[in-house]
Amino acid sequence: MIFLQQLHCELRKLFARPRTWMGYGAFLAMEVLILAVYKLETSQQWMRGNFERNGLEFSTYYSSLTITFTIMLLSMFILGSIYFALVAGDIVAKENEDGNLRMVFSRPISRFRLLLVKYTAVCLYTFSFVFFVGISGYGMAVAAVGWEGGLFVMEPKMKVFAAFPEWWEGASRLALSAAGIGISMITLSSIAFMFSCFKIKPAAATIITLTILFIDMILQGFPFFKPYESYFVTWRMSAWVFLMEPYLSWAKIIESYAFLFGLNISLFTVGWLAFQTRDFKT
Amino acid sequence: MLQVRSLFKTFGKKPALHDVGFQLERGEIYGLLGHNGAGKSTTLGIILGMVAPGQGEVLIDGISVQQNRSQALRKVGAIFEAPAFYDYLSGWENLKILMSYSGGFDEKSAREVVAKVGLQQRISSKVRTYSHGMRQRLALAQALLPEPELLLLDEPTDGLDPEGIKWFRDFILNLREEKGMTVLFNSHLLSEVELMCDRVAILREGKRVFEGAVKNLADEVPIYQVDLEPRPAVAAVISTFGGSVLEENRISLPASVDPAIVVQSLVRAGVSVREFAKVRRSLEDLYMEILDGRGSPN
Repeated sequence: MIFLQQLHCELRKLFARPRTWMGYGAFLAMEVLILAVYKLETSQQWMRGNFERNGLEFSTYYSSLTITFTIMLLSMFILGSIYFALVAGDIVAKENEDGNLRMVFSRPISRFRLLLVKYTAVCLYTFSFVFFVGISGYGMAVAAVGWEGGLFVMEPKMKVFAAFPEWWEGASRLALSAAGIGISMITLSSIAFMFSCFKIKPAAATIITLTILFIDMILQGFPFFKPYESYFVTWRMSAWVFLMEPYLSWAKIIESYAFLFGLNISLFTVGWLAFQTRDFKT
Repeated sequence: MLQVRSLFKTFGKKPALHDVGFQLERGEIYGLLGHNGAGKSTTLGIILGMVAPGQGEVLIDGISVQQNRSQALRKVGAIFEAPAFYDYLSGWENLKILMSYSGGFDEKSAREVVAKVGLQQRISSKVRTYSHGMRQRLALAQALLPEPELLLLDEPTDGLDPEGIKWFRDFILNLREEKGMTVLFNSHLLSEVELMCDRVAILREGKRVFEGAVKNLADEVPIYQVDLEPRPAVAAVISTFGGSVLEENRISLPASVDPAIVVQSLVRAGVSVREFAKVRRSLEDLYMEILDGRGSPN
């Protein structure tokens, strides 16, 4: 009960900060931009060609669901990661920098409990943010092209290709994949959270996290590393795309999420150990 | 109530505390003095479990902070110099957040404490709009909310105007009077420490070099304002009594020495005695003597 009260307070702090809302604003602007591009005649011609080459009807798959999928696929790893790293990198380091932590440390709360509350808040923020992007993107797409139609999925990197002609099937897969992206992105937030527990500036925690993410993505693209791609964090984080396959391979999906879950626990533990052994002078 | 046992601490290779220890009885106000870097804040940090000591232990009501911090700090409140609140939230929300770390927020108690510190008109305003004095009142409110038995004050009156300092002093003295609260007061304002504290300790370079009761300061090593000539003869006579010449017109004598006998000896030695009056020794006198190395470590 007290944990929930502490979590509520942590979320109140998180959402009272203007920088927390920057991501929401940026994504809304980007969604408007993507929709404007989709409405262009040349863009529609390109999509028509793409569907018809695969034997699919343009009128069925040029839909709000397909547009929402594209928004999430293109934006989450690049733009989303910036905001997740920013918020999670701030959550401990910023309070230390501002001096708030010494007020907190005059209270009978353990460092582990404090970090657990903050980490839970970061996870909730990350997960809910992905759904916000999905729901707002879908809302805008519905306003632009109507609610009906199926879902077309094409992700060459992970070799996933699928078409769901029925709306309800496409919508449920899209919701499932949003949950998958949310869980995947928690790993990125966990990296930033771990660095936030170290004795560094909040901006440094954010930058180091993004550097690790981008290096991982770049190296993964090297042909030399192809046989080892499953060892890359970003490859494991991309496992959400498997939730879009026509026949779900749960073993493959669970393997990747177990990897990420173990990594998240390790990152939290390292962060906690670093935090636990630090001196906080008044 | 509070036992600080033989604390040692180094930061890197720099020693910060060396065998610092003291004890506070219930209802006592204890002052911790020292220049910047003397180890006051490190001591406070160790008491709150924010800094791990190299050696030593702190017990609050018999519970070790180092072994059971959460239990030990249950009845502790603390105020820091320039308290850092969440500026983008209201004072009320800040109290809610900080109390959630102390086991829960009780709205009725919070309203009473806010009224007591005189902040009820502005408690719903964002903290960023508060003056320094209002921040200190909010800091006092958050420290009092867990109904503490031990209050730790780290430079709480720094930056306050004289009116604010007096209000703060009266408030703390009243708390001790009404609730028998124990207070550890860390400050640079020697006059405030002298007015508030029962006992003081002075730290120098991480070591405790003095501890004593404030009311006995004048009696431990009495000082006299004098006008005596010739000076070489004065020094000779004073030294025979175990005293010393502090500066041009001041001498100190052991408390056991009768000043009348000293005056008789001075006259017999051919010294002209124009003035010989006992002066009240302030905490500032003692502090300066100790930090100059003239006072005797205790």
